[in-house]
Formats: sequence, C-alpha cells, structure tokens
Amino acid sequence: MTFAQLAAIVLLLPLASAAGIALFLRRRGGAAAFVSVASAAGILAASFCLVFGPRDFPASVEWLRLGGLTVSFGVKFDDLAALMLFVVSFVGFFIHVFSLGYMRDDAARARFFGGLSVFMFSMCGIVLADNLLMLFVFWELVGFSSYLLIGHWHERRSAADAAKKAFIVNRVGDFGFLLGIIACYWLNGTVNFGELAAKSAAGGLVFSRAIPLLLFCGALGKSAQMPLHVWLPDAMEGPTPVSALIHAATMVAAGIYMLCRIQVLMVPQALTVILWIGVATALYAAVCAMVQSDIKKVLAYSTLSQLGYMAAAFGLGGLERPGNPAAGAAVAMTAGAAAAMFHLMTHAFFKALLFLGSGSVIHACHHEQDIFRMGGLARRMPWTFAAFTAGVFAIIGMPFFAGFFSKDAILYLAFAKNTPAFAVLVLTAVLTAAYMTRLWRTTFFGEARSEPAAHARESGAVMVIPLVVLAVGAALGGYGFFRDTLFCGVFDGVFRSLPEPEGAAHWTMIAIGAGAMLAGAGFAFGYYRPAAADRLQSSVPVVFGGLAVFKESFDRAYGYYVAKVQQRLAMLLNLVDQILFAGWMVRGTASIAGLLGVGARLMQNGKLHVYVYWFLAGVALLWGIAAGAF
Amino acid sequence: MDALNPQLLLLAIVAPAAAALALVAGLPERLVKPCAVAGFGLPAAIALWLWSHFPEPAAIPAAHLGFAFYSLRALGLEKLGIHLVLGLNGVSLPLFVLAGIVGLAAGLYAVRSGAGRLRAYLMLLLVMQAGLLGAFASIDIFFFYFFHELALIPTFIMTGVWGTRAPGDNRYAAMKMAVYLTLGAMLSLVGLIAICQKSGVESFDLINLRLALAGAPLGVSLQKHIFGLLLFGFGILVSLWPFHTWAPLGYGAAPSSAAMLHAGVLKKFGLYGLIQIALPLIPAGATTAFTVHGIPVTWTCVLAVLALGNVLVIGLVTMAQADLKQMIGFGSVMHMGYAFLGIACFSAMGAGGVVMLMVGHGLSVALLFLLATSIHHRTQTFDLSEMGGLARHAPVLAAFFAAATLAGIGLPGFANFWGELMIFVAVWKLSPWIAAAAVLGIIISAVYGLRAVARVFFGPPTEAFARAAVARPPADLSWGERLPALILLAALLFIGFWPRSIAAPLDRALPAIMAPAAQATSHAAR
Repeated sequence: MTFAQLAAIVLLLPLASAAGIALFLRRRGGAAAFVSVASAAGILAASFCLVFGPRDFPASVEWLRLGGLTVSFGVKFDDLAALMLFVVSFVGFFIHVFSLGYMRDDAARARFFGGLSVFMFSMCGIVLADNLLMLFVFWELVGFSSYLLIGHWHERRSAADAAKKAFIVNRVGDFGFLLGIIACYWLNGTVNFGELAAKSAAGGLVFSRAIPLLLFCGALGKSAQMPLHVWLPDAMEGPTPVSALIHAATMVAAGIYMLCRIQVLMVPQALTVILWIGVATALYAAVCAMVQSDIKKVLAYSTLSQLGYMAAAFGLGGLERPGNPAAGAAVAMTAGAAAAMFHLMTHAFFKALLFLGSGSVIHACHHEQDIFRMGGLARRMPWTFAAFTAGVFAIIGMPFFAGFFSKDAILYLAFAKNTPAFAVLVLTAVLTAAYMTRLWRTTFFGEARSEPAAHARESGAVMVIPLVVLAVGAALGGYGFFRDTLFCGVFDGVFRSLPEPEGAAHWTMIAIGAGAMLAGAGFAFGYYRPAAADRLQSSVPVVFGGLAVFKESFDRAYGYYVAKVQQRLAMLLNLVDQILFAGWMVRGTASIAGLLGVGARLMQNGKLHVYVYWFLAGVALLWGIAAGAF
Repeated sequence: MDALNPQLLLLAIVAPAAAALALVAGLPERLVKPCAVAGFGLPAAIALWLWSHFPEPAAIPAAHLGFAFYSLRALGLEKLGIHLVLGLNGVSLPLFVLAGIVGLAAGLYAVRSGAGRLRAYLMLLLVMQAGLLGAFASIDIFFFYFFHELALIPTFIMTGVWGTRAPGDNRYAAMKMAVYLTLGAMLSLVGLIAICQKSGVESFDLINLRLALAGAPLGVSLQKHIFGLLLFGFGILVSLWPFHTWAPLGYGAAPSSAAMLHAGVLKKFGLYGLIQIALPLIPAGATTAFTVHGIPVTWTCVLAVLALGNVLVIGLVTMAQADLKQMIGFGSVMHMGYAFLGIACFSAMGAGGVVMLMVGHGLSVALLFLLATSIHHRTQTFDLSEMGGLARHAPVLAAFFAAATLAGIGLPGFANFWGELMIFVAVWKLSPWIAAAAVLGIIISAVYGLRAVARVFFGPPTEAFARAAVARPPADLSWGERLPALILLAALLFIGFWPRSIAAPLDRALPAIMAPAAQATSHAAR
C-alpha cells in the first residue's frame, strides 16, 4: 500500500463510518458507537504508519477545473502535518473511547457517534490539505460537525442557540478567510502550499498586508480569538467529549495550524496584529475564567486563553531574523510557529484531559456542573482526581509537567522579542494558575456540598483509561525524549526551530515561570476555601460584578447589534419591499401591462385560462403563416 | 447505440407530453399514477444516460459547435426558418439533468400528495416537465422560447387552483406571477426576434446565428439595445432585484410540486438564456459603455449593482420573514443575485460558476419546498413563530431540512458550494469590493437559514404545537416523501463531492461560448 493510499484511508474511514451510521445504524446506537470507535482506531493506526513514514510523497488529483480555476484534492504531508495528524488521531481515539461510557444512556447515541465521525473526516482533511481551497472545504465541514454536536441536545433552547451562534460567528470569520484565499489566488496565481513556498524561496511571492490579515480572520473565528471568541463559551452546551475533542484539543487549534501553514505569506505588520490579538485574548479570557462557577465554562475560558497564547507565540515570529522564515529548510518554521505548535500539542493533551476529567465528574454528579455544589470528590473519585491533577499541573506550568516546557518556550520568545507582550503573558500565567487552582480546590476538596456530589462514584474503566493515557501525555509530552526518542525525531521539522533559552536566561525563565505559577496558585489555594459560594463574590462584590460585566460586554454589544441594528434594518427593508415594490411597482407594471393589450387586461380579471387560449391561438396563427395558409 | 441518443433526447421531451395527453384522454383511474410516474421517470433515466454518455469534444462534429446528440427535424415551419433542432452542450447538459432529476422528485411527490383533482394536477405537471426538458434541449431559439412558455403557463393555473393559501390570495399570487413573467418573457422575446432579424440569417437556429454573428457581429449600438431587453426580460424571469416581488409571493402560494419545478428549474431559464444566447451573440452590447447624465455605464455594471441588491437587500429582507415558504422564496431570490454576479463577470469562470450554482440551487430549493410542505402537513402552519421542537417527532425530516438548508447556504460537500466559490473567485476580478460585498452573503444566508432550522425543529415546542402534537402525534417522513427527498439530496451530495461530473463538459464548452465575450471585453478595455 502506498502512503498516498494510506492518507486516503485516513479520510475515507471516518467518511464511510458517518455514511454507514446515517443510512443504516440510526436506531442502533451500540453498533453505531462500535463503528465510529473502530474507524477512529483505524485512523490512529494509519496515522502512525504515516507519521513514521516518508514525507512529501506526491498525492494530488484534480478535483475541479472550470474556467481557468483548478481546485486540487491533494495531501501535503510534512512534519507539521504529521504532528497535527498525530495529535488529532491520538486524542481523537481516546475521546471516542471515553464517549462509549459517557454517552451510554443517550437516546440519540447514533447521531452523536455519526457526528464524531464527520468531525474526524473533516479535521483530518484540514490537516492533510495541500492547498487553501481544499483546506477551506474541510474548514467549513468541521464548522458543520461542530454545529451538529453542540446542538446534540437540541430540545434545550440554549443548546440550539449555541450551535447556531457557533456556526454564524465562524461564518463571520470565514468571510475574511475566503476573501483572503481569493486574494492570494489572484495575486500569486496559486493557493497550493508547496507552490507558494517554492515561489517564496525563489523570491517571486507577492506580499500584501491584506492577504495574511484576511486569512487570519478565519483563525479568529475557528480559534475563537477576540473579537470572535463569543461562541466558544456557549459551545459548552454540547456533550463534554465534544468539548474535549472539538472545542479544546483539535478544531479550535486548527486556526493556529492554518497560520503555520501559510507562514510564507506573513508580513511583519500582520504578525504584530496577530500578536496583540493573541495577547489580548489570553488576558481577557483568563480574567473571565476567574468569575465562572460552571466547571466547563472555566475550562472553556481557559481554552480561549491558551489559544491566545498560541496566537501570540505565532505573532512573535522568528527569533534570529524577524518575519523572515529560514530559507532552504524543508519546513520553514519560525521560532514562534514552532512554539505555537509545541503548545498546541501539550495543550491538546492536558486540555482534553481536563475536559474528560470534568466529564467524569459531571457524569458522577448526575450532570451537576456548578463547582460550588461539588466538593470532596478527591476521595470518591481517586483516579479522576489523580488524572485531573496532572492536567491542572500541566496547564498552570508546574515544573516537570508538559505545559511548563511549552509555556516556557513562548514566554522566553516574548522575553527576547517584545517586553510588553511578555509582561501581559506572565500576568496571564499568574491568573491561569489562580483560576485552575480555584477550580481544582473547590471541586475536589472539602465536604460534598450537594446530594449528587455526596453520592458520586468513580467512573468505569472505559472512561478512566483515556484519562490515564492523557495524563501520561500531559506529564511527559513536553520532554525532549518524548519527541526525540519515543518519536525518533519525526517531528523535527517543527521542533528544530523551538526557541530554547541558554545559560543565564535559562534560569531566569525557569524562575519567572515557576514564580508566576506559585504566585497564582498560592493565592488561589489560600483564598478559595472549599465553600458553597465564590468568596470573591461574597467579600468583594464590586470586583466580582465588574469582572462579570467585563465578561458580558462582548455578548451584550453583539446582542444589541443583532436586535437593534440588524433586525430593525431587516424589518425596515422588508417594509420597503412590501410597500414600494409589491404595492406601488406591481400596480405600475400592471398598468403598463394593461396598456399592452387585451390579453393582459383579460388576465387581470383573473381568468387565467384565457391566457392559455391566447397562447394557443398565437401558436396556431404562427403555424398557419409558416405553412402558407394566409 | 450512440446513434440512438438523439432519438432518446426527443423521447425525453415527448414522454411527459404523451403521458399528459394520455391523462387527458381518459386513462383508467388505476393507471393514472403509474402513467405519471413513467412520464417523469423516463426523462430522468434518459437524462442520466445522456449525462454518462456525453461524448468527448473530438467525437462531436465541428459544425455542431459542441452540441452533442444533435438532431434536426422539419415541422412545417421552415418558411420562417424554424426547425426543431435538439442537442445538448456542456452548458445545457447540467440543466437538462437538473430538469430530469427535479422533475422526477416533483412528480413522485405529487403522486403521493393527495391533491384534489389529481389527474388534472399531474397532467399540468407533466406538461410543465415536457416544456422544461424541451427548453434546455432546444438549439432553435423559437423552440427554446416555445417550450419555456409551455412550462410557464401550468404554473399560473396550478397556483391559482391548487395554491396553499386562501383562494383569493392564490388568485392574486397567480395573477401577479402571470403579469411579471409574461412581461419578462415578452421583453426577452422582442430581444430574441431582434437578434434573429438583424443578423441577416433566415433562421432561429442558435448554431447558425453563432456562426454568422462571429464573423459579422451586429452594430454595437444595436447590441446595446438588445442586451438591455434581454437583461431585463430574462432578469424579471429570474427575479432580478427590484423585479423580484412575484417570486416569494408566487412560491408562497404555489403547490409544492409546482414550486419545486418553477423555483428549481424553470427560473433558471433566464440565466441559461443569458449565458447560452446573449453572451455569445451580443457580448459587445454588455461591455460597451453608454452615458447616463454624462456618466459612462455598461450593462454589466448595472447588472452587478442590481445583483448586489439581490444579495444584500433581499438577504436582509429574508431575515425578516415570519413565514417559512416566503422565507425560502426570498432566499431563492437572494441566491439568484450570485448568479447574476457571475454573469456580470463576463468570464468563463463566472459563467461556469453560474451553471454550477444553477444546478445546486435548483436541487436544494426544490428539496426545501418539498420539505416545507411536509412540515406544513405536521404543523398545519407555515408561521415560524408557531413552530418548534419538531425534530423530536420527526428526526429524519429534521435531518433532511437541515441538510437542504446547509446546502442552500453553500456548505462544502453540497453542489451549491462550488458554484458560489467559482463566482466569488471570478467576481474578485470584476472588483474586490464587489466580491467583499457578495461574500457577505455567506453570513446573511447562514443567519436566516439556521434561524429557520432552529425555529422549526429545535427547542421546546410552542404551546399550540404541543397541544396539537398530543392530539395527533406528527409522524416522521413517510417513504412517499422520503424517496423524492432522497433523490434530490443524493444528487446534491454527488455533485458536491464529485464536481467534475458536471464541470468537465462545462469546462470544454465554455471557451467557445465565451470567446466573443472575451473579445468584447478586451476591446472595451482598449
């Protein structure tokens, strides 16, 4: 079997699974779950073969050619794609397994697993795509699967609204993305990544500020960066495995992956914009996470914040020659892009772990999601507690856990390149440690503060095993031996460019990283005793209320726009349409038509059949003339 | 075997007409439905057959200018230069296939619709189908127009008699449609006759006209006048803003199968005419500027501006609709704006995108009208504010409706996406700002499309619907409804995943059709 066929299998397996479930297994949830998990296992196996196989094998067919535009369906498999494919298939498979337990009693299990397969299909398509148009196709399809899965419990108005919101906000981002692709096509004559890189190497690339910024709009939507971040917290209405897979580990990271793909098109001004949007998102979301009491919402804002970290890392650009990718390398990755991808990988491990851990907790507490109504779960759910703790340590940057290394790389890059951004990112790190410790302590320690929490029991093996596997990833994923020894350096094309501090800077960075973590975690551990209410809310309501208003401000502004501007404009135009065109114009036209002759006037009497007679008479007349009857 | 194909093409047009005649002639009651199904099924089968046997360019005689399955028959109108000339090229083939597929779906749905006076209803629908297939298979402009009228008239009657609104509203809608569409048809007829008259060719044969006018084009000033006539004549037929008001009103009232055939197929006639006739015959009329109060304007500019009216203004109006069927009608008007933009590009890419979009839009809007009626059977209303939570009772119906909506708003994987994409790419060449305005449409359509899905199917049911559901629990999609829906959805997905199936013959046909237009554009640029 060739590697191109193997890549085709990665795409076809989940597609076949989704089609089979939709057509034949709608009422057989168990069989549907089996098919879907089996396809995820198949993807994992095939992707391991690919990851350890050769790079840049030729695989491209013409998908559509019309009027000079050619869209190809092809695979670009370099180290970047290999890393992303590994993350998607590895995390994806274990979340599938977890779902077996989590969704066991769901009435629409078949639809859920069918949706997961659609998602795996589209996500693998994004990873493998060799050109922007193909990427856009799968980009929209992950948006569709996200819509499908957020709205899984569509009887709930809030879930239906959240699904709709996610799709529409992503469409706003895709508006720019699509224009960027079109601009790139006309300015550079191609949207193929390989050809763009070749052009760039030959110095023939047309640079423009518009192209990377428009393309970045796509990442704004998909990776939920400000100001299009509003859909992600709402997306937590979906089942928790969906939040883990789509809205934490893989799909929302696709924006970062896409940016790394189009690196050659970047110009310094665009990088600056990306940097500051990422920094702003990181800080804003971390602040918002401080005032959440829903366990999934805390994690959602934390995802936003970490995605902001990644975008900021990308925006920091290269270390040696700013904004200029290293020429000649097989995969020209800047230090910033490498750091972003590194954090993307560790984040996929620990955030998927945290979401699945929260899913385990929610499952055990009979769908209670308020952390102030939990408590004391450490004793009742020891496996979940241990795994969740590993995830918390990873995200807050506890030394020797994965997040420590990846966050360190980003902080060092910021330290070396941009001091204001560095300061904000360190502050974000403090806040991250604070809100995660608050969540961890309130959920797992103290006494049970509600009936379900008091009777919580550890989840079954099918849910615990994925937790343990991901916990191992969250603990070890950052070490050099993980990528050099375990993976034999197959991702070197990405990690080669990682920014690594040397000498004194090394210790400075460790001190700053650990200090930020200790400050945040120490404060939160001391301040938030396990209690039935948020201490900040009860003791300093002004601050808490202010933060809550701050968090709400975007949704309020958009809500105002939709209800007061857009909808009113629509109503106004509808009125104009009805009165002006339907009323006045049709009368006008009708009177003209009336003047045109008897036939039209007869029609106005409502006698339609008369028109038929006129038509037939006309035909007969014409025929007669032609036949020479007159 | 290949020699039979031209006969099959004729058979595809004759079959529904013959079935209609059989119904009029008093076929026994028990044979009415099988006869109608055969009348719709045979053309669909032939269309698919011809699609899969569409020859390579080398296999088509050069004299036929890319028209395969060519046949010429004299019907006693030779003195006027009129022959029944049939054939399909890369532009008409996709539309012929569209007509076959949508006709089959509409026919199957009509057979099980339980409409009163079913015999007459099916008869009219069969006449419509014969007209549609004939219009897209005709190379002779006279028959092109004749078949269009043949398909058009049943729409008015069906809307007036079998409409879904109150009787008075049905009559008003039918009358309004008749006034608008007749006016549009008359304007375009004047334009078509003018072309044939002034060309000096004693023939309505498009091939002859193309050959003659390629050598000796009409005077530019004359072309400008004729293009204006065709633009507005065909434009009204395709609901160009602001001549669109007949469409939502008419579709809102028309019975489902008539709406499926009209919105899905017949409405494409005007766009088809612009691409197949206006672009190759009188391109200079569109690209040469005339002055209005000293400002130089070309018809393509006018078209682009009006088309943006379709996309943006009607897009917003669609958001304000409270009636499901009206909303689908307005949404369809909005998407015609993309098609007009594609034509305004005056490029093979734009025109190709328009043909792709016509096919995708025709399939998806037909599916939406079909499902809207199925929803009405279950909720007894088209009012969106009175619906909710239907997905709980009818998950398959919900899945179909969501799929049709997503297809309509240009989700990849469905046929519509490719058309929209090609048009967006082509419009950038016209002007990046117009492209940006047009791409805004993908947000607007997502807003109203998903809003409708959520209103009808998701969330808790409204009180009224909950009471009705208790009294008579709504069933899921029956097989009589599911089969036609499945046909349309399968076609949408097939083309969505395999766009080459339609684009390959189209791509081979377009250079010849667009050559005069390209010449005119470069001439105008100079």
